[in-house]
Amino acid sequence: MSSVRGYLSGFLISGLLMLAATYMAATHAFPPFGLLMVITVCAAIATIAQTYFLLHIDTAEHNIWNTVSLVLFIPLFVLTIGLTWWMFSQLYLHTMPAMAGMH
Amino acid sequence: MLVQLPGGWNPLLGRLALDQIPYDNPILAPLFVAVVIGTLVMLGLITYYRKWGYLWKEWLTTVDHKKLGVMYIIIGLVMLFRGFIDGLMIRTQQVWANGPHSSGVFGAVHGYLTPFHFGQVYSAHGLIMILLAATPLLVGFMNIIVPIQIGARDMAYPYLNALGLWITAAAAVLIMISLFVGDFAHNGWFGYAPIFELQYSPGVGVDYWIWTLQLTALGTTLGGINLLVTIIKMRAPGMTWFRLPIFVWTSLSANIIALTSFPALQVALGLVAADRYFGSHFFTAGFGGNLMLYTNLFWLWGHPEVYFVILPAFGMMSEIFPTFSEKPLFGYVTMVAASFAIAGVSWMVWLHHFFTMGAGPQVNSFFSVATMLVGIPTGVKVFNWAFTMYRGRITYSAAMLWAIGALFMLLVGGMTGMMLAVPAINYMVHNSVFVIAHFHSMLLVIVYAIFGSVIFWFPKVFGFRLDEHWAKVMFWLFTAGSMLVFVPMYMLGFMGMTRRLDYVFNPAWHPYLAVMEAGIAVYCLSVLSFVMLLYVSIRDRVKNRAEADAWGSSRSLEWLTHSPVPFYNFAVTPHVNARDEVAWRREHGLDGRQPDRYVDIHMPSNTGMALYIGALTFVLGFALTWRIWWLSLLALVAIILLMVIRSFRGDDGYTITGAELERMEKDALRNRTRADGKYVTDGLGQLAGAAMAYSRNSPPMGGNSSSGSQSGI
Repeated sequence: MSSVRGYLSGFLISGLLMLAATYMAATHAFPPFGLLMVITVCAAIATIAQTYFLLHIDTAEHNIWNTVSLVLFIPLFVLTIGLTWWMFSQLYLHTMPAMAGMH
Repeated sequence: MLVQLPGGWNPLLGRLALDQIPYDNPILAPLFVAVVIGTLVMLGLITYYRKWGYLWKEWLTTVDHKKLGVMYIIIGLVMLFRGFIDGLMIRTQQVWANGPHSSGVFGAVHGYLTPFHFGQVYSAHGLIMILLAATPLLVGFMNIIVPIQIGARDMAYPYLNALGLWITAAAAVLIMISLFVGDFAHNGWFGYAPIFELQYSPGVGVDYWIWTLQLTALGTTLGGINLLVTIIKMRAPGMTWFRLPIFVWTSLSANIIALTSFPALQVALGLVAADRYFGSHFFTAGFGGNLMLYTNLFWLWGHPEVYFVILPAFGMMSEIFPTFSEKPLFGYVTMVAASFAIAGVSWMVWLHHFFTMGAGPQVNSFFSVATMLVGIPTGVKVFNWAFTMYRGRITYSAAMLWAIGALFMLLVGGMTGMMLAVPAINYMVHNSVFVIAHFHSMLLVIVYAIFGSVIFWFPKVFGFRLDEHWAKVMFWLFTAGSMLVFVPMYMLGFMGMTRRLDYVFNPAWHPYLAVMEAGIAVYCLSVLSFVMLLYVSIRDRVKNRAEADAWGSSRSLEWLTHSPVPFYNFAVTPHVNARDEVAWRREHGLDGRQPDRYVDIHMPSNTGMALYIGALTFVLGFALTWRIWWLSLLALVAIILLMVIRSFRGDDGYTITGAELERMEKDALRNRTRADGKYVTDGLGQLAGAAMAYSRNSPPMGGNSSSGSQSGI
């Protein structure tokens, strides 16, 4: 997997996704919330591509500890992003009832 | 330029100009002169005693985990002293600038520090104490002890280990240089949006703060990766998971936290840097920015970080208590579970640093309950330690005193922490010195554990015990100082004194402030007694020479090998039979056994590459701070080039043959039998030579290794 082709595909995929996201943000291709979603999806795909092609993390036997760390990372991801989202949605609810552009 | 910079900028020197040197500052200018003279004297002494070659071969290019650990600890102790001086300045300013009639000197209306200067002092104090004193001290101990405790020859990645050290050193140099070139940040150690934005802090202080933090984060992350891989992959045969010493377990949990949380800090600081350098609006009030998002991101790292520093301290206490109670640790499995419970919960509590943000009762309740949950595993640990001591044969040695002191501080800090976990109380004492007293109690747990460990593991690393009398004198002075400073601070917190005051308005608080100042004076005495402790111990080192088992009642694997530990750790990789291997061997009459046959050992070569890259990261940080773009680019390209070169060249290492090993082991044993005062040493350099044990006269450097790559151990 650690071939020139693998590295090139990882680089190309993440590069293209970044360009696409930049282009969409620069031209306001979607309404703000839609843009946020599209960019998030682009980032998620780029992350997976980089994990697979550049960091060579898959579910093979020799990668067992990498898999373990990846699985451990999921609850952390859910906790940090989820709790942040929750506290800020509550904060906006209590401090800025009508915030334009966020809905 | 993407942002409008106040003041001058030129392509060659960036924002650097002669008027950025505070030569007219009555505090910094004499200090600068003293530092220059001190440096010259030191360089002169090294040259006079012809120690440059020794320094280069044995220390600057080393990849030996014990020497790197010692250097981490030296950096930590130096920065602990610097942070203490900052603390002394804060206390002195507050006792002086108290009430409207207090005098002022050096341009300050009250006291001797202007508000701007005072802001820099407390910001530097916090940043230094947490990231450049506590963290390097703990990383240093983990570096030295963890590989020996699991029976490994070295860390999994010796070169990466050196790289982590030199990047941490670069961070320490960067914050020190901010004393004499430009200013430091005045936004507190954790920073606030929007005060660190360019329009409110136009100087270079915040930039120094950003890049110092980034470098320590990078260095600590590299060290964390290394320790994790070492613990998972490098354990000796028979060292199963549930035979690991507790210190290794706490190191494992702490480094999982470090590895997962430091990226959050680096992202937060990267976004602050984007705001300041590119004019983006992540943390501004307008243009879609969000002030509180910074606080959120920072404490997303910040709270796991405080458990990253407390967990190894718990591990240290767990090693010291059983040794001086002559009993195995009570509740080993619950201790492991408690460490991981603390590590896990550390990810769900960070909002308690900003309860007053106004996220509402649901959010505050959740984080309040999560915070209180931490008390359960911590309580388990406290009771385990108490039961370890219960009906034990306790020796009140200096190390034990420090560990008991840590336990006491943990109770004080833990109880006040529980109070602060209640949002209603938190609203009352938010931003008061009560909070300061609470987290200083917790950080004192770490300091106590560290000084206990210095005494406990000193004979393992240097081959002789520290002087018990002076260690105890230091302990009692330090404890008296802690009580005098922090008990009044708790009381002032209840009276409503807020933190970070450059002018204390209420004259009625003067007695408390005066007692705290007296406490600082006692702290000064304890610093002096530490110097005295080192002096007396080094003077009496022959008398205090230590056996492999320095305390006679030691339990874990590090006490199996010689004191001082030879550079190859174990001549023959030990086979582990029990949880407390050394205690097990002692009970079965197997201690002192020597192997009948030695096999070749494969060791990593020294390399200067880590030092060069570390130095370049300092140049990068300095150039970015002053916006010297050409130098930043140059340093970055040079770092990448060196990394590529190192990656392609690799390291064949070198081999110690079985015969060579046998000769060194015989020497070590002979030294051990001559411990009755006939051991001859001359001068400090010789001591250090002996300290780092049977070092080769010229360790091979990377790249020109003559011996071919042999099969590993």
